[in-house]
Amino acid sequence: MAGSLKAPSPPRWLLAELTYACPLQCPYCSNPLNYAHINDELSTEDWKRVLKQSREMGAVQLGFSGGEPLLRSDLIELVQYAHQLGYYSNLITSGYSIDEAKIIALKKAGLDHIQISLQASSQELNDYIAGTESFEQKKTVAKLVKKHGYPMVLCVVLHRANIHQMKDILEMAIELEADFVELANTQYYGWAHHNRDQLMPTQQQLNDAELIANQYQASQKGKMKIYYVVPDYYEGRPKACMNGWGTTFLTIAPDGLALPCHSARQLPNFDCPNVKDHSVHNIWNESKAFNYFRGDGWMKEPCRSCEEKDKDFGGCHCQAFLLTGDATNTDPVCHLSPQHNLVTEAVDLANLNNKQPSEKPLVFRNSKNSKPFK
Amino acid sequence: MSLQTHNTLQLSPAYRLQWEAAQNMFVLLYPEGLIELNQSSAEILQLCDGTNTLARIVVALEKKFNTTGLENDIKNFLTVALDNGWITQST
Repeated sequence: MAGSLKAPSPPRWLLAELTYACPLQCPYCSNPLNYAHINDELSTEDWKRVLKQSREMGAVQLGFSGGEPLLRSDLIELVQYAHQLGYYSNLITSGYSIDEAKIIALKKAGLDHIQISLQASSQELNDYIAGTESFEQKKTVAKLVKKHGYPMVLCVVLHRANIHQMKDILEMAIELEADFVELANTQYYGWAHHNRDQLMPTQQQLNDAELIANQYQASQKGKMKIYYVVPDYYEGRPKACMNGWGTTFLTIAPDGLALPCHSARQLPNFDCPNVKDHSVHNIWNESKAFNYFRGDGWMKEPCRSCEEKDKDFGGCHCQAFLLTGDATNTDPVCHLSPQHNLVTEAVDLANLNNKQPSEKPLVFRNSKNSKPFK
Repeated sequence: MSLQTHNTLQLSPAYRLQWEAAQNMFVLLYPEGLIELNQSSAEILQLCDGTNTLARIVVALEKKFNTTGLENDIKNFLTVALDNGWITQST
């Protein structure tokens, strides 16, 4: 189902998921539930080929991600190679498996920026959500990142259990001298979808949090940039999936699968191609998976005749699949979707449970919990 | 602080201006972000090198393109750049 005949715009953003291994166990992880079965990691040479071919096509922003990318022993070599190629390279890390010597070595290799995730503003909650005692280590690393002259993004994923800490989280970001803060409400894919009912905040929590975010955005203007990512379940309008499928973003999973979005490997019958078998050029331009949602030829109603179809591209296809079983359906987050009730029911449940948290326990992201998923 | 005519301007430390041959344009790179620049924006940002002021940038570009009356456009763009944190000005 090719979108249009004209050549697609080149990839600008390459997300290199180097490994699914991670010392943390966050229950909202976007990695696949069955990650423990996906073992065949790309070699250093494979990654270098991917970096070179993607750069030649136009990719310039590069995220080293995972899992925890610092667990790859060839990270410095890859950073150095990316720097030679002219990428702007970002390390997206838990801030757990790194010491000062490594921070210095990465800087020397040409790393441009480090993003550190924090799970909460208090040690107790951070370490509970991370499933690992890591709070003090993360704060120490954040200070070292600044000491060695990197720009730093602090990323905090928000959910029902930590969103009330908004003010403390922002005060902590100021104390750590973050240049950018990403306050991202949980998006419900992978482990987050599995734990959705326990993670979903209430309307009241969101109202309070947004007010504080807005206050700090104003008071920190010109000093610290604060991004507040709204939760789409509460929005009524879908997000513009990946800035348009196959227009901007290319994700390469640890085993070499090339994905138009990092959740796309779950989509059935997509035959996502592997960089072990095909060139990036071929994958981006020719593959069925990357062409599938280009243009609007794939759209059904209500998207097809919608005035906003060029703005949101039908929303998130992975979310449509997760909730309705068909990725070509309108994202149910959209209030025009005939299955919008699937979203409103989840939101209603969160607000009914205002006082009592869900009785189901959070399922943490680790190999033991991943094994039963096929 | 609003844009001053005689303070020097420079790219913020977290930002990098880079020519991209594949796209045939300059881009502004920063943590997890990318702004594709049109020609006039790129011309202005290239002059934000820590030695030039708004006044000098206007003179330089009017000379380069053999024209006059660029001040308002340049000022508007630099105000946006300053508000977005792409550039800083000396105090």
